[in-house]
Amino acid sequence: MSVIAVLCGILGSAVPGGVSATAYDSVNKDLLLKKVERKIDVASQVVKITSKITLENAGTGSVGAFLLAFTEAEKQNLAFLNAQSGGTTLQLSESKVQEHQDIKFFKVELKDSLQPGKIVNVEVECYLTHMLEPYPAVIQQGEKQLVRYLGNHYILTPYTTTTQTTTVTLPSPNVESYSRLKPSSHTDTSITYGPYDGVKPFSHDAMAIHYENNSPFLTVTSLERMIEVSHWGNIAVEETIDVLHTGAKLKGSFSRYDFQREHNTYSSVKSFKTIIPASAKDVYYRDEIGNISTSHMRIQDDAVELDLRPRFPLFGGWKTHYKIGYNVPSYEYLYNSGDEFILKMRILDHVFDDVVVDNLIVKVILPEGVRNIDLETPYPVERKADSLHYTYLDTIGRPVITISKKNLVESHIQDFSLKYSFPSILMLQEPLLVVVAFFILFITVILYVRLDLTLSKDDAIEAKMRVSSHCEMIDSHHDKRARQYEKLEEELQKLKVSKDVNQFQTATKKILQSIRDETQIISDLGAKIRLDNAEYADKVVELQKAEKALRDSMTQQLTNVEKLVLGKMTKQQYMDAETPLHKKKEEQLEKIKTILSGI
Amino acid sequence: MVGIESMSRYVSPVNPAIYPHLTLVLMSIGIFFTAWFFVYEVTSTKLTRDFFKECLIALVASVFMGFGILFLLLWVGIYV
Repeated sequence: MSVIAVLCGILGSAVPGGVSATAYDSVNKDLLLKKVERKIDVASQVVKITSKITLENAGTGSVGAFLLAFTEAEKQNLAFLNAQSGGTTLQLSESKVQEHQDIKFFKVELKDSLQPGKIVNVEVECYLTHMLEPYPAVIQQGEKQLVRYLGNHYILTPYTTTTQTTTVTLPSPNVESYSRLKPSSHTDTSITYGPYDGVKPFSHDAMAIHYENNSPFLTVTSLERMIEVSHWGNIAVEETIDVLHTGAKLKGSFSRYDFQREHNTYSSVKSFKTIIPASAKDVYYRDEIGNISTSHMRIQDDAVELDLRPRFPLFGGWKTHYKIGYNVPSYEYLYNSGDEFILKMRILDHVFDDVVVDNLIVKVILPEGVRNIDLETPYPVERKADSLHYTYLDTIGRPVITISKKNLVESHIQDFSLKYSFPSILMLQEPLLVVVAFFILFITVILYVRLDLTLSKDDAIEAKMRVSSHCEMIDSHHDKRARQYEKLEEELQKLKVSKDVNQFQTATKKILQSIRDETQIISDLGAKIRLDNAEYADKVVELQKAEKALRDSMTQQLTNVEKLVLGKMTKQQYMDAETPLHKKKEEQLEKIKTILSGI
Repeated sequence: MVGIESMSRYVSPVNPAIYPHLTLVLMSIGIFFTAWFFVYEVTSTKLTRDFFKECLIALVASVFMGFGILFLLLWVGIYV
């Protein structure tokens, strides 16, 4: 339904200080209701009245609007009112007539003004809540529930009606009594009144129907619907619901035995169905003490059906309180274009069939940093002051849009749209918050380990620490040196294959130079160690000596290979020289190993 | 103001289906660096400690842990 069209559905709530509420309208005597067919459906707890009105302009001037009349009691309980003509919804506004202060009027603007002598068909639909009075008001556990509907045999209207009929639809053929105004008839589940011809304006004749109605009289006394939007791709919905059985109250005590044994528990409600969106997942049904396990979830093609069974059956005057929650993916309800977003969701969702909601509060929690919020609703609602909500990883709080409305029925299940702008870069705020928190922790550790709270300096420990740190450094430098030796060996093998002496010489020169550098560093460190601990310094000297010997045999080996390649040495000579060199190298390596393990 | 007709349906910049994988990968890298950081802190002495190295490990660890924890929250259903 388009926004403009649904705006026409003016509802029960009073329009405070509106122009229409102060200015008086007058009744146009030229208008005639040529034919009215009224259907009153009292099968459920909601009274649904649909009237097909044929409006005739019997005057000389064109008419642009007409009035609908309601009694004070009807106006109080009027939840939804809608007028249609030829498929288009007509605009409605509250109105007053000076001569009839006790009657409430709604002005209906016709689509095109009605020319003299012309007729137009209008269909008016209205939903009334709390109009059915349990009679008797108190019943026992096994008794059937009887209710009374009090109305008017005639249609309350400021115009003369040429002919009118009323059909009342009942849930069962069991009728205790009904008022009669000839011609009237009762057939099975309907009572027909009329046709009545030439009815004067504001005619009233009390109608009373006393009949059996065991449909669930469940009223949602309060429904708080919370919609939490996350730009990480999720919309979380949670509904906190208070349900009261507003049918005939239970007399005496409740007998579980009778309840289980007999199946004639007419007016009590064991379970009901709630329909939630098809994309809903992670559904929960719980109350203050936890999960209510007596529920079933059925996934259908177009919806998810929840079969909710409260912890106890609901009898007249009993109430229950529970929460229903689920997640839906954002792409179902959230639209965007750059940084502009529109959230399009239902103000009220299905709770159970023929629901009556006394008080609805909808809270929409938007992400942090949302600006330019603009709310559009299909019918007038009360917008409460915006507030802030704090949850995980929040700093300045999330803006919360709160709207409330009283007296709602199924026809109010319509979409609202909420426009806002949100720079997507702000999504990074949440992870960065955690990153910063971790970094602060690490920095604290870094600072903590640097804290020195000792009062007097312990030289022995200091010296030991210095030696161990120097030894560690020697160890790492020796590792580097050892790797250079490995490289030398590789070059040797390469030369044997390639026979490229020049290339070999440049490479080995470089490697030998870096070996000498490392050796120098180690010697320097050794000198530093000597200041604190002579024993370890000696070991370093020993290490250096062994390394020197190793280096000597290595250089010898290099020269030999070079000679061999250049042909200055025979293979036999080379082999003879190689064996002792190799042995010597092995010895030195073994020695280095022992020294290092000692350090 | 742009109308809803010209807008596209909003999807998360990161596909929710890969939240578990992202969590596991980022958290394991994060935990590895965190462990390295603490091991380094307790084994080094004031003479061998390198402030730059400490900061670098801490930065890498906190970035991976931060994003890892975010996706962990999203995975378990805390849609922040």
